[in-house]
Order: sequence, then C-alpha cells, then structure tokens
Amino acid sequence: MNILDIRNLSIKLLTSTTPILAVDRVSLAMKEGEVRGLVGESGSGKSLLAQAIVGVLDDKWQVDADRFHWRGIDLMRLSVDERKKVISKDVAMIFQEPMACLDPTTTIGAQLEEAVDDEQLTGYFWQRKQQRKLAAANLLHKVGIKHHEVCTKSYPHQLTEALCQRVMIAMALAKRPILLIADEPTAAMESTNQNQIFRLLASLNQLKNMSILLISHDLENVTHWTNTITVMYSGQFVEAGTTQHIFNKPYHPYTRALVDSSPKANMQIPMKSRLMTLPGSIPILQHLPIGCRLGPRCPKAQKACVQAPKVKNYHGHQVSCHYSLKGSY
Amino acid sequence: MLIFTLRRLNLFLFTMLILSILSFSLSFLFPGEQIINISGQINATPEGIELVALEYGKHESLITQYWIYLNQLFEGNWGVSMTSQLPIYGEILNHLPATIELTMTALFIAMVTGIPIGFIAAINHRKKADDFILSFAMIGYSIPIFWLGLLTILIFSIQLGWLPSAGQISLLYEIKQVTGIQFIDILLSDSPYKWQAFQNASSHIILPSCVVALAPATIFIRLARTSMLNVLDTHYIKAAMAKGLTFQQIIYRHAIRNALVNVIRDVGLQFANLVTLAMVTEVIFSWPGIGRWLIESIYQRDYTAIQGGLLALSCFIFLVHILTDFIYATLNPLARETHRGPQ
Repeated sequence: MNILDIRNLSIKLLTSTTPILAVDRVSLAMKEGEVRGLVGESGSGKSLLAQAIVGVLDDKWQVDADRFHWRGIDLMRLSVDERKKVISKDVAMIFQEPMACLDPTTTIGAQLEEAVDDEQLTGYFWQRKQQRKLAAANLLHKVGIKHHEVCTKSYPHQLTEALCQRVMIAMALAKRPILLIADEPTAAMESTNQNQIFRLLASLNQLKNMSILLISHDLENVTHWTNTITVMYSGQFVEAGTTQHIFNKPYHPYTRALVDSSPKANMQIPMKSRLMTLPGSIPILQHLPIGCRLGPRCPKAQKACVQAPKVKNYHGHQVSCHYSLKGSY
Repeated sequence: MLIFTLRRLNLFLFTMLILSILSFSLSFLFPGEQIINISGQINATPEGIELVALEYGKHESLITQYWIYLNQLFEGNWGVSMTSQLPIYGEILNHLPATIELTMTALFIAMVTGIPIGFIAAINHRKKADDFILSFAMIGYSIPIFWLGLLTILIFSIQLGWLPSAGQISLLYEIKQVTGIQFIDILLSDSPYKWQAFQNASSHIILPSCVVALAPATIFIRLARTSMLNVLDTHYIKAAMAKGLTFQQIIYRHAIRNALVNVIRDVGLQFANLVTLAMVTEVIFSWPGIGRWLIESIYQRDYTAIQGGLLALSCFIFLVHILTDFIYATLNPLARETHRGPQ
C-alpha cells in the first residue's frame, strides 16, 4: 500500500505580476519500507517538492494537487494546521547543510530534547526532564554517537558537518517517523562521511522499516542506496521506476543523458574529447519554455514537444515523453 | 571566555590612552595659555602660574608633560573650573551619577519597549501591524528631541499636571548623598519619608527618560525587526518547523534568542547617540546631570571643564559599550571563542 500518494502536485511562486509555476504537475508515490531517490539538477524543484510535502514553505508559495494522500488521509481536505499536525507526526526531514539547520545559540542536548514527543514520556512532570535527557542520549546512541555527554553539551559550531547531520537524523528519529525525507543529506561532505551517513540511513530503513525519500543531484550515488527513483527536470516529472530500470534502460532522453553524463572508470574515450552532456543549462524560473521544459535542450525534440506530454505507464515504469526510448532497447 | 575578557580589557586600555592624549592635546588647541587651560587657574598671579607650571612639568619635554598629566588624572587632580573655581573632579562626581541614572533608565525603557515591538512587527511582516509600527518608528525617529521635550512638558506638566517638569526630586526631600545615584541613596537613607521621596523621584524621571528613550527605541524597533526577519528566514527555523514545533515554541525557544544576539551588539553603538540626546534633554528638564553642566561650560568657555567632562563622559560610554559586549558574548556562544574547524 502506498503511504504517500501525490498526483499532479503544482507549486506556484506568487510574485507581484504573474505567478510562476515552479513545480508543474509532479506525481510521487511511496510504499512502506521503500527507499526512493528523487533526482534532478539543482533548480529542478526537488527540494521545493520535499518542503511542500512537509509543509514548511512560507506563504510566497502556493501548493495545489489533484491528490495528496498520506496513509489514506486526504490532506487537501484538511486545514493547514491539521495537515501540519498529521504530517509532522509521521514525516521527518533532514536538510542539506546540517550546521545551518541547528540553532547556533542552543546546545545540541536542548535541541534534541525538545524534539522528543510528549506522548512518549510517562510519569509526572518532574520526572519528564530526566526522561527527556535519557531519550536524547538514546537517540544519539542510535545514530552512532557513543559519547553523548560531550555531544549534548556542545554547540553546533563545535561539531563537524557529519556529526551535525547525525544529530539532525537523531532529531528526525525522535518522532519515530514512518517516512524520512533526506534533502541532499551529504552535500558538501567528504566521501567517507557520505558513506557513513548513507549506511546509517540504509540500516534505519532495514531495522525500523522506515521509508526514505532520498533527494540528490547525483544519480550514480543514489543508485547504490535506493529501490526506486523519480527523476525531475525543471519542475516537471520526467521518469519514475525501479533503480534497475532507470539506470540500465531509461525511457526518457533526459534520464539517458544523465546516465551517460556520469563518467565511468572503464570508459574508453579519446584524449581531449568532450564528455557527453546536454547542450545549454537548466532554464531560470522567469524564462520557462512552454510544453516539455526539456524541449530546447532535448536531442529528440520535435514539433509535438510544445505540448506537455502525458505520463505513460509501462508496468510501473512511468515516463513523460512523446518520443520515449522504449522502442530502442 | 578568558581570552575574550583580556581582549576587551586591552581594547579598553588603548582607547583610554588615546582619549587621554586627545584630552591633553585639547589644552593646547583651545585658545589661551595651555597651563591655564589645563589647570583652570584663571585668576592666579604670575608667581602662582609659575608654581602651577612647575607642578605640570611645563619646562620638561611633551612626553613628560603628558606623563605628569596622566598622574594628575589618576590622583584626582583634574584642575579647577575656570568659572566657579571648584575642582572639576568633584563637580563630575556630583553630576555624572544623575546622568547615569537618566541614561540607564532611558536605555532600559528603549530596549524594553523597542525590541519587543520590533519583534512583533517582524512576526506580522507585510501586514497592517508591521506597516503601522514602521511608520510610527519613522515618525518617532524624525521628531527633534528639543521640540518633543517642550511638547511633553506642555502637555503632561502644564495642561494635565500629571508629572513634574524640572529637576530630579522635589526640594522638600533631603537625601544624604552616599553613592550619587539618587534612587539608591533614597533606599539607603533612614528618612521616615523614604517612600514618598522614592515616588517623587520616580515621577521626576519619567518624562525626561521617556523623551530620551524615544529615538533609540525607534532604532531598536528597526534593528529588532530586521534581525528577527533574518532569523525567521534561516534554515534552523525551517528545520524547527519540520520538527513539528508550534510557531510560539519556535519564536520563544529559537528566534528571540538569536535575534537578540544581533540587536544587543548594536545597543552599545546606539548608547553614544543616546547620551547626546540626554545632554539636550538635561538642559530642557533642568536635570542636574553632566550633560547640562558640560553645555553650560561650553557656553562659558570653561575649557578645563570641557576637557574633564569629555573625558568622563566618553569613559562612561565606553564602559557601557564593553558591558554590552559581555552580554553579547554570554548570549552568543560563537563570540566567546576563536573559530575552529569548518565554518
């Protein structure tokens, strides 16, 4: 059963003149215990989508969706406050730049303790402080920080980036979430630290059956850790399917280009030749092309591409393209 | 924290050194005989002047003269006033506490009203309340203080008769001077009319301190508003929202503290401005403070008094500045230590 089911979600940026459609009818579904990657270039709206799910976008942004279900509850029918209540009970999010996401003037311990839910505490109010402390220490142990005394007393700037991300994950775990949204959790991190964080997330997925939505711009890295992948480009849905399919037999020209653009160690290329890339760069929000937004850069683009394509479903492998590469395999 | 304290002390020492050099050089720059400017002995006979010149080391090199001047300052010999022939040091000790009282009360009022109002404006960003507060701040900032002072006297003292218009306390009450700060003196005194005196002194301080506080309060409103807006825009507020905290929890636990950090740093800077306003206000409300005394000295070309008064006032301003720095450091863990590791 899908725990999260989003159909045609659009996010508009309200400006003084005309609203800008930053995310254009994107669909996303998550199963229980699934690790899904959400891949796209920077500026493709993947962080926006995640923030819209958690409901932390400010009132400059307007979110619409045809369907937005969380475990069978229709969130679009609820008021903003109720929606936030439902979501924040079960969904946790970790951000990129963990150090910027921790209050610089409060100790780690205090920030962890306030994340602990009141419902998990038993006993009278004078016992609660102690229980909160214990809960915070346990959370730190869960994410692999052994010396919790040192960590709880320090301020965010005294810890390394990777430790801060662990603390963020610990905070996310405090609510025992069903879905964890990780928005580029390892950006600006060394590769050893990156692997530690990914391994931690993978173990949480396996031990606690926690679903993870892993947002990243690095397709290759994501393939190691995910079961399914959704690809986005410039705020539009591109392709979704199992990691195997997406990586080996992409149906969309964009995904094909993404896969081809990552260099491999055993690649045979002549000296000083150009690596495979798409021409141009991702369009800025003020000058979005009509129809399929990949159009101007797409090697397969034809006249029909000025109309946005409908999503086609081939046995769970969804693709949004008029000229999909399905026939070429 | 120790290094932080040492650094501040270091800064204090050097600033004091430069201030004393400035004050010393003023005695040369003012018109007239340098030795008379520095000592204030305006009626002395030529023999008397010669004695004073010997005392100040007039025949030695400039550096020795400066050294002797410093020694004199520390011994409490700041010369005598040219007009009243009273020792400057005693005059300053008499007048400075009243100014400290007035400025501190005004600073307190300005912070207690300005900062929360600024926060409220930021929380209601782009709503009616925000616009209203901003325009109020703009008006409050642009009202000239001498006009505002006269206006408040006209309304609250003369027409409504609620508050007294001049002085620090009614002449009926006789309070023995111990510390110089009147409220403390009143509380220390054993007069049977202690509480009446306290009430009377409080009603005297309300008008002038509110007049002084208005302009700084409007600045604090704007500082607090921008600082709160910046904080509300940061990632950690967004993360706290994703954590499921309510808006009140976010404001009270995270936003206020971080916004205050930025405001407090500027309070020290605004204090110098506030003291200038207090000097004008003291003249209007006949407040027996150092500002009024200094302005009178300027009118009477009392060069010795100007030198001493400037030194004392700037010393006071700088001490407050350092104090706010310490408050800033206790609020902000980042300021307390040198940065290590990646930022």
